[in-house]
Amino acid sequence: MTTRTIRAATDVGGTFTDVVYFSTDPLTGVQEVVTAKSDTTPPDFERGVMNVLGKSGVPLEEIAFLAHGTTLVINALTERKGVKTALITTEGFRDSLEIARGNRPDFFNLHYEKPPPFVPRYLRREVPGRMSQAGRERAPLDLSGLPAILDDFRAEGVEAVAICLLHSYADPSHEQAVLERVRELWPEASVVASHQISREWREYERTSTAVLSAYVQPVAERYLSRLADGLHQAGFDGQLYIMHSNCGVDSVETTKQIPITMVESGPASGFWGAAELGRSMGDSNVLALDIGGTTAKCSLIEGGHVKIISDYWIERTRRSAGYPIQVPVVDVVEIGNGGGSIAWVDDFGRLYVGPQSAGAVPGPAAYGRGGTEATTTDANLALGRINPDYFCGGEIEADMAAVDRTLGALAQKLGVDTAEAARGVVRIANNNMINALKLVSVNRGYDPRDFTLIAFGGGGGMHAVALAVELGIHKVVIPLAADVFSAWGMLMSDLRRDYFVTRLMSLNADNAERVGALLDEVTGASLEQFAGEGIAAEKVRFIRYGNLRYENQEHGVEVQLPDGEIDAAVVAEITDNFHGTYEREYTYRLDAPVEFVGAHVVAIAEVGKLAPVPLPTTGRRLGDALKGRRKVDYATEGIHEADVYDGALLEPGMGFDGPAIIETKGSTVVVHPGNELTVDDYGNLIISITLDSYGDGDE
Amino acid sequence: MTTARADSTTDPVTLEIIQSALQATSDEMFAALRKTAMSAIIYEVLDMGTGITDGEGNLASSGAGIPAFVGVLDKAVMRVIELNDRDDIRPGDIFITNDPYYGGVTHLNDIVLAMPVFAEAELVAWTANIAHWNDVGGMVPGSISNEAKEIFQEGLRLPAVKLISEGTPIKSVMEIMKCNSRLPDFLQGDMWAGIAAARVGERRILDLVRKYGLDTFNTALRVFQDYGEQVALRALEGLPKGRFSLKEEQDSGAVYGVTVEITDDEFIVDLRDNPDQDPGPNNASRDGTMIAAQMVFMNITDAHSSANAGHFKPLKVLTRPGSVFDASPPAAFATYYEVEIRLYDVIWRCLAPHLGDRLPAGSFASVCGTFIGGPHPDTGRHFTIVEPQVGGWGGSAFRDGNSAMFSGFHGDTFNCPAEVAETRYGLYVDQLALNDAPGGEGEHRGGRGIVLDYRVRSNGCFFTCAYTRNKHLPWPLEGGREGSANHAQVIRKDGSVEDYAVVTALEVNEGDVIRLRTATGGGYGDPGTRPRELVLDDLRNGYLTEEQARKVYGLDV
Repeated sequence: MTTRTIRAATDVGGTFTDVVYFSTDPLTGVQEVVTAKSDTTPPDFERGVMNVLGKSGVPLEEIAFLAHGTTLVINALTERKGVKTALITTEGFRDSLEIARGNRPDFFNLHYEKPPPFVPRYLRREVPGRMSQAGRERAPLDLSGLPAILDDFRAEGVEAVAICLLHSYADPSHEQAVLERVRELWPEASVVASHQISREWREYERTSTAVLSAYVQPVAERYLSRLADGLHQAGFDGQLYIMHSNCGVDSVETTKQIPITMVESGPASGFWGAAELGRSMGDSNVLALDIGGTTAKCSLIEGGHVKIISDYWIERTRRSAGYPIQVPVVDVVEIGNGGGSIAWVDDFGRLYVGPQSAGAVPGPAAYGRGGTEATTTDANLALGRINPDYFCGGEIEADMAAVDRTLGALAQKLGVDTAEAARGVVRIANNNMINALKLVSVNRGYDPRDFTLIAFGGGGGMHAVALAVELGIHKVVIPLAADVFSAWGMLMSDLRRDYFVTRLMSLNADNAERVGALLDEVTGASLEQFAGEGIAAEKVRFIRYGNLRYENQEHGVEVQLPDGEIDAAVVAEITDNFHGTYEREYTYRLDAPVEFVGAHVVAIAEVGKLAPVPLPTTGRRLGDALKGRRKVDYATEGIHEADVYDGALLEPGMGFDGPAIIETKGSTVVVHPGNELTVDDYGNLIISITLDSYGDGDE
Repeated sequence: MTTARADSTTDPVTLEIIQSALQATSDEMFAALRKTAMSAIIYEVLDMGTGITDGEGNLASSGAGIPAFVGVLDKAVMRVIELNDRDDIRPGDIFITNDPYYGGVTHLNDIVLAMPVFAEAELVAWTANIAHWNDVGGMVPGSISNEAKEIFQEGLRLPAVKLISEGTPIKSVMEIMKCNSRLPDFLQGDMWAGIAAARVGERRILDLVRKYGLDTFNTALRVFQDYGEQVALRALEGLPKGRFSLKEEQDSGAVYGVTVEITDDEFIVDLRDNPDQDPGPNNASRDGTMIAAQMVFMNITDAHSSANAGHFKPLKVLTRPGSVFDASPPAAFATYYEVEIRLYDVIWRCLAPHLGDRLPAGSFASVCGTFIGGPHPDTGRHFTIVEPQVGGWGGSAFRDGNSAMFSGFHGDTFNCPAEVAETRYGLYVDQLALNDAPGGEGEHRGGRGIVLDYRVRSNGCFFTCAYTRNKHLPWPLEGGREGSANHAQVIRKDGSVEDYAVVTALEVNEGDVIRLRTATGGGYGDPGTRPRELVLDDLRNGYLTEEQARKVYGLDV
């Protein structure tokens, strides 16, 4: 018998698999937090999960709630490790997947290569029958050709079938009929129809969504089964939830049906964690930044809400159009800029950082594993920001000769000394991240000065203050367990489902009832789904949004709708809200009719997420956490003698002023001169920045 | 503080940060314009561009959007400066032009908005954007007519005048504009989208100047242009030197000719020996001609982030006033874009055989501008489609041509989804498929064009198009075969079929199908050397018939 309640989360990342668990004593309320990391183990990712659970020492049989996030789906997509997939679509549209949208971001490149379709033409087949945009049948569905099509698929060794018919977002009945018939004729095949994933228009995007989902479905199903079996065999008997890209968790059974929803689960949980943390501290406007080894990701949280969108693409860069996936995904901007990003100089003496990364192998030059190019991490070492004697928590001896050599080569190309080159690398890396933060803030009409910066991931604490100064942000938070924060965020997640439905109508009093009916339709179907899983209606709450625009526009603005009935008065209120939101975002409003494009309904069911309690204190003095002092180069702010603290020994209530460095096993926090730092009750580091001390910023 | 700033003016990292901020600002303006525009051609097709120039109108960043459109902005700003008294250019002003004789460069549908940015009373920069507006009046709905003889027939001319004066909209100008459009609501929406975008850019530039100081800001702009020039000169080093000439007959019967001279530090495009200006709308302004040359120059000199005024410095373009590439008043310009893309293609074709593997074979090389309008059967409102089409690209030394891409003149332009088109336009889209017309065979074959069927749902609709590469097909390289033709068919309700490349305001009615076919690109290399497994792949995918595989590729099955 146990008296403890254990909630745990595991996060499979590209390099490491992390675990965080909270064990709470219900009698005393005392909470213990344990984190651990071990290597990710492709292709059998579940092995790494079992390893890290073992390493952390968590008793599996005592875990009540286990959340799990994984890069499995995104890896299967980007490494092309899915299954042979076929497509069934509307007559006249089999080439839609290959035609795509005809665009190319790399304007001047006449050798641009269009991303090839995941299904070749001979496996894209058509069925007659048409729905109208209003969801009425224009021509009946004819399935007489289906058996022959499936015979061909079987003969070609197809394992998964995607179905996407025109206007199925408006009425999926044709698609459902195809789905049922395929299941009947070929029960062994993995089949997915677009309406199961997306109820939004744009046939190329929806087709691509169905195809990519089918492509990874068998792989993901097998993985989830093996994971669940492995955990149960090892004694786990609690609830297993899977992290989704919409910042919620969902059951294994639901996830198996549409595993594509896991595509961005890692970033999603981190951003959700940041939103929860912000809310708990009374900071509902948060810029969240996750700096890892190869990329930096950021997202904007307004009013405590993470923004969930369905306009998501993989492999979309300045050089490639990428592939769309219309699933609810946290609105994230990702750039190729992390600790391992390589610094380089072009033929014209211009310095760049990333997007190429040294990865885990050979890694930064400092790893001493043969890395011949300087990375951001190497520059941070050279500037004394990272402690060479406590590199990677003391697990790796920093090869400072290699750091000097690679930075020296860079400096020579730039015509400056090594220290100047290192400062340049850090400044350029910071600038890349600033541009990413601008994309989610100023590019969307938000002023970063109204936000708190919550930075996590291995490199979050290293760069956060410099970025905040540049953007005029006054408060930076480095959370407890910042290096495993994605796993932490999962423990904060509710069971969440996002429904996006396109249904075009004028937003006016006459249509109040239609808007209401649409919302009821979505919430009703959702409740039914929950009921089928044994979750009672009173456990579920809904947040409803309308996607609104001026008539004739295309891109809508999402506006939260009031709870309750939608009547003429509520429509007027919604319209007012729209005008206001629109003007904030775009500087003007129009005296034009407003259109309702569709609904976004969020269903949230409490599944007993974690409530953190204040950490215990030992009465330790600040001086006990002080490891020493060293010279640190703050790039634009000059070289200062900084106090160096052991992060593991810091306790709630402690505080000090910069210049300082905090070292933990997984990360380094750089506190600039003039910053004030306090440790809050939960072990988070709060850094206050007085911008006056920076003048106008640079120099 | 001031001293610190002065010291930093030569710090390359600071300059780099300012340059990247300018690019980020162009992107931000683009996002603002895209999201708020009312016309599908802007927000969906992204027929638009944004950019920043220095105080004199030199392009300071590579901008965002269709490069051929970004290339308009510097030229427009320079004309605004030339045509307005310096004292009359004030903070908060926004100028508007659409007229090729007044800095508009393209045709009257493309509206440029330009806003001066003042810091410390100095004119330090301009933010500008251009977008295609659906209807600016003129003789036909959509304003674009193949029948126009004078620019006066093509719509309202806005001669680089003020639209907003020190922050206050000039209502009379706006009312005149609205009154001259068949779609005043769209016009108003698109106009405010452009204004918002220009203002966003102004704010960001002022932030930059405030932060880094005016001297450093100006230095950053200058250094960046020097960098662009260095990139271009370095690229010229790698090109063969000499004079290269080509004459090519066009579908219209006109013969376009070009001589390109490449030296160590110049790239001279001589177009003086070309026909007199067209009595119809097939003309380019000198500025527009410059853009066509700039586009080829960018393709060849590998411009990415360096597409600024400096990069263009080695480029010289010679034209003859009164010719098709330097038309004089009152020449019409509606289909300027086909003239420019033809010129672009002629320069490309002229150089391709001499530049090794740098350039692929010819593509469908037409904007395939398509205009359809009429009453929407579901709403009763008027609808207008204005859209370019995707087509096949030519094969290259490295691989097959891309299928279904917008032309080299476009960039991150998107086609319209059938589901959106059916809702918005009240037409049925019967099919959107790759065009299986034969052609473009080669070791590396040309990419496929498309077949797009619009079924008309109401009476009294119109159809206008002006496609080139209809008679003279996409050209091959190194022994490949010619591509296929761009054309449009109207399949009447009674089954009769009409074939068009150029037609204006053709009446189409309920039940008629407008079938658009775009070309397969030219092939590269001898088809006989195409690997057998690729031929078999094409056969399996239906890109080839067995007969073609046998005849052209010598496949025995």
